[in-house]
Amino acid sequence: MKPDPPPVQPPGGSARIQDEAELATRARAGDRAAFGQLVERFATQARRVARAVLQDPHDADDAAQDAFLAALVKLDQYDPRRPFGPWLMRIVANAATDRRRRRTVRQVEPLAPELTGGGPRPDRDAEQSALGDRLRDALAELPERRRIAVVLFDVEGYSHAEIAQILGIPEGTVRSEVFHARRRLRELLKDWR
Amino acid sequence: MTGPMTPFDHRPDVQLGEALRAALDAGDHPAFVAAVLARADRPARTMDVLATWARRGLAAAMVAAALAGFLVGRGGEPATLPEDALAPTSAGAASIALVTATRPPDASVVFASFVSGSR
Repeated sequence: MKPDPPPVQPPGGSARIQDEAELATRARAGDRAAFGQLVERFATQARRVARAVLQDPHDADDAAQDAFLAALVKLDQYDPRRPFGPWLMRIVANAATDRRRRRTVRQVEPLAPELTGGGPRPDRDAEQSALGDRLRDALAELPERRRIAVVLFDVEGYSHAEIAQILGIPEGTVRSEVFHARRRLRELLKDWR
Repeated sequence: MTGPMTPFDHRPDVQLGEALRAALDAGDHPAFVAAVLARADRPARTMDVLATWARRGLAAAMVAAALAGFLVGRGGEPATLPEDALAPTSAGAASIALVTATRPPDASVVFASFVSGSR
């Protein structure tokens, strides 16, 4: 059996790991305030990762909630020497994937060619909103693992090694997934530069 | 989108990251946190408890079915009859017992019936 790889240091280093480990220990002992702090700290990230998988914001929030509750139950499995984020994000990604499999898969229509052209630009808010819609559609076109990888890397700032742990795949595969996702997203977004 | 950066770049793409973050942010952070904490504090719902029971019941039923299958496969216990029914006192006694028995007879009963009938 291969030994565990060395723990990956998150931004903030060992002090942050220690802080998260302490919160996790207290939460495991029934301290709801400590659990609340962990939820507060990781909620935004968890919701974004879930939404990258599920698209629908309500489904994504339900999956993120399920993940936090599952994490609370499984806290005894968390290794306090390691950062909490990747451990939690693995649970989030699994919860979102499970939920996506349980429901009817929404068919994503490819972007109409006229939508990919330039055209007149409305005001900035409308433009941002349209960009958001377009990005979500573009993400939805990507394979699920690719979507999660690019969001974890470019949005949440996880390293390739951490994403490899979260997704349970080799680091080289993570690099490849991020590469392909970026290439596709940049293609779709080049008109918005 | 980011000029000199290539998809191969090992650094996070700040512009792409910001655009994705804006697209994926759901908002109303306090409401979400409150909902998670409320669910964590809520006692197990009836349906959750029933679901737990259902899983246990299903497991018990599977064990029982496997046990029953094993016993049937081995042929089960032989039927037992009262001693006097087995005694070949008359030609018909064992035969009557054989016919009226509710369970399959033991081979010795069939043999006794055959012997008494052949006398």
